[in-house]
Amino acid sequence: MLEFDAVSKRFGSLPALDACSFAARPGRLTGFLGPNGAGKTTAMRAVFGLVALDSGVVRWQGAPVGPEQRAQFGYMPEERGLYPRMRVRDQLVYLGRLCGRTSATVNRTVDIWLERLGLSGRAGDRLDALSHGNQQRVQLIAALVNEPELLVLDEPFSGLDPLAMGSMSEMLADVAAAGTTVLFSSHQLDLVEDICEDVVIINAGRVVRAGDLAELRAAVPQRFVTIRYRGSEPDWSQLSSVELLDQHEGQARLRVEQGTDLAAMVAEAQATADLVSFVYEPPTLSDLFREAVAA
Amino acid sequence: MNGAHQIWLVAAREIRERGRSRAFLGSLLLMLLAVAGAIVLPAFLDTGPGTKDVGVTGTTPAGFTATLEAQGEAVGATIRIHRYDARADGEAAVRDGDIDVLVVDARQLEWRTTADEQLKAVVTGAIQLVAVRDRAEAAGMDADDLLAIIEPVPVINLELGQVQGRSPDDETAAFLMTLVLFFAISTYGATVLSGVVEEKSSRTVEVLLARMPARNLLAGKIVGIGLLGLAQIAAIAVVALVAASLTDSFDVPAVRGSVLVWAVVWFVLGYALFATVFGTLGSLASRTEDASSVTGPVTILLVLGFMVSFAAIGSADTTWAQMVSWLPITAPLAMPNRMAMGAATWWDPLVAVPLTLATIAGLVVLGGRIYTRAILHTGATLSLGEAWRGASPPSRPDGPVTTESTERQEEPAVEQTTTREARTQLVFAVIAIAVGGIVFALTADFVIGVGVGAAVFALARQALKVWGPKGGHKGDAASGPDREPAHPWGRGAQEENELDLMARLAGVSLEISRAPLVPNSPDRHRPTITTVTCAVLARQIVSGVVAPYADSVAGSVGGLVRTTTVCLGAIGAPMRMAPV
Repeated sequence: MLEFDAVSKRFGSLPALDACSFAARPGRLTGFLGPNGAGKTTAMRAVFGLVALDSGVVRWQGAPVGPEQRAQFGYMPEERGLYPRMRVRDQLVYLGRLCGRTSATVNRTVDIWLERLGLSGRAGDRLDALSHGNQQRVQLIAALVNEPELLVLDEPFSGLDPLAMGSMSEMLADVAAAGTTVLFSSHQLDLVEDICEDVVIINAGRVVRAGDLAELRAAVPQRFVTIRYRGSEPDWSQLSSVELLDQHEGQARLRVEQGTDLAAMVAEAQATADLVSFVYEPPTLSDLFREAVAA
Repeated sequence: MNGAHQIWLVAAREIRERGRSRAFLGSLLLMLLAVAGAIVLPAFLDTGPGTKDVGVTGTTPAGFTATLEAQGEAVGATIRIHRYDARADGEAAVRDGDIDVLVVDARQLEWRTTADEQLKAVVTGAIQLVAVRDRAEAAGMDADDLLAIIEPVPVINLELGQVQGRSPDDETAAFLMTLVLFFAISTYGATVLSGVVEEKSSRTVEVLLARMPARNLLAGKIVGIGLLGLAQIAAIAVVALVAASLTDSFDVPAVRGSVLVWAVVWFVLGYALFATVFGTLGSLASRTEDASSVTGPVTILLVLGFMVSFAAIGSADTTWAQMVSWLPITAPLAMPNRMAMGAATWWDPLVAVPLTLATIAGLVVLGGRIYTRAILHTGATLSLGEAWRGASPPSRPDGPVTTESTERQEEPAVEQTTTREARTQLVFAVIAIAVGGIVFALTADFVIGVGVGAAVFALARQALKVWGPKGGHKGDAASGPDREPAHPWGRGAQEENELDLMARLAGVSLEISRAPLVPNSPDRHRPTITTVTCAVLARQIVSGVVAPYADSVAGSVGGLVRTTTVCLGAIGAPMRMAPV
């Protein structure tokens, strides 16, 4: 388990991390969310000792993270980069060996991943001869060459096409299923909602929500009603204890308090509009995020 | 995972990747060919004293040919005699180049165009000797008496200016060694610089630093490139020695016992010193183009040190040469040449080596701090001061960038800064004049004095720019469109005057462009005052310091060295980076 314990870091007068505490659990995908400038990258760099912390500590399996622990970690920085003129295979083996793996072990791991991502044929090519998508795959393998127990990825989905996003999320799920702790940052809230068990939301260096996604959603007192209807735009203000969030093209989204009498509400809605569908659900991750960051 | 193992992995990668890159192999091959060619070609072109073809016609005294052969043998030449019955046949052979000279009646020599002075001496000597013998015989003198009479009196030559036990070879060795050390240190130092910048600009460095401390990365890089450099020098040396011994074209200068070992030691020390500085400064620049402006002051220092060390060869026994050979910046070049001259006492290295080692250790500590803080910073070139304080936001500031720096740039502040800058410049100028004066007094060479003074001034200004809050070429928004760029070509009148003066000193003509410069355009990298200063220095080295020594170097080596010294002009341009 990876734990942040009251981690703080300031850049001049700018607090990048402000007493950040959260955890990422093994075998689960943890989505790390926050608006630009919230401190995600700084937090991830802190795991690898790339920023000198002002206070607080990052722990792995209960012990403060040091070089020995980091040899068991995999990292994909937001600024992608490997040696452009180095051969793919040599490069990956080199990175694996820097983690203290023997040549034979690293070679085996690299071969498995190259095979799995369909890059076996390009192993002897220089990195800059590969397409952008393939370079991204090599970058992912670079984070996996030491068969890490903790995988930290900064915006792994940025710049990927929908197909590549699909295979990337499948792969992350596989890696997590094998018992690895996976922490990644992303702005693709729908995707995070689909694949992550846990989320951490930070804003201005502070953790505002953290934990099991389903529990977080359930804990929010508000519920959301999505109504599809035919005809002209009805006047939803006639409904009791409802707040209209959005309405367009025959669809309205309303916020209600938890515990609202659903049967009565459906009846009222039917009286107001020609209903096609009525969906009552806990907040989506987007709702959760917006509400958490706005606070 | 221990540090030594990581350092070795990094070093091994440098050696493997650079060693098999086409750029490296190509340049090595070119160098080997150039060195071998420079040694072998003259041997082919010039048959030397080897074999001479001498034609003989008309009446010849008895024993003339035997005497001629013996005379030739005395100077290491084999004389082949061709006898012609008809003089016309012999003359035809001379015209066709079949024979070198035709001896007519043992009284007249006929050459094709100009006389071969050595052969002339041999043939003339033989003619005189035979004539003397014939006359002695005619006078009834005995052959033994004759020998006793013509026995030459041994004459002793003493060179009173020479230190006892020092041969011209020592000077040649010192000269070559300084040249090779300077080239090796600057070349491989620049390779370290480009390696660091390449890792930073390709963003590889973050992946690497997640796996190892920055000091291991820097140390591994320096070790790897250094080993590769040693191997390259060794390969060139072996080829040069083999070529020289095969062609027997020139004598390898005899070198005092341990001097070669010391040369290697000083290469390692000098390279470690400058590579650490280059690597550290390289971490400040985000792009290859910015690297040369960051390292400008160090490049000047290195060239300056080279110049001073060169001057020290001629006065190896003076106190100032001893001081120069202790000073860590110049020691790696000056100490080995003083040792080659036999001017260093046994305890000189005992002073210089620990001093240099201490400097390296200090630089490693300082450099490690700067490198670690600067290497993950991307965007505008960092100033040394910023990197030292370590107050830089993350590479891609996600959030609101602090606006303080822009607010500080208000009008009164700018004026204040200008006055302070003017005052600093005045102080620099006074220091530069003082240093130039001292150097003039020491070297008794006015031009070198002016050159050093100008260099000190340019160096101080450059150092200020790299250190200062607006260091290097930043071209950032904070400067605003109306602010004058730091120091591009064709700026204010004062700078133009300086450049003009420099150019006149260097004997080059300049065209000063007054076109407005666009920040971030390639124009920003046109020659600066630093570049011109370097050109001045390079020219000084070529004309004032190197050339006299080049004369003392024998034959083909002299030619090679001349070519190389001319190439020194290239150092005027900040060392170019050839990404490997």
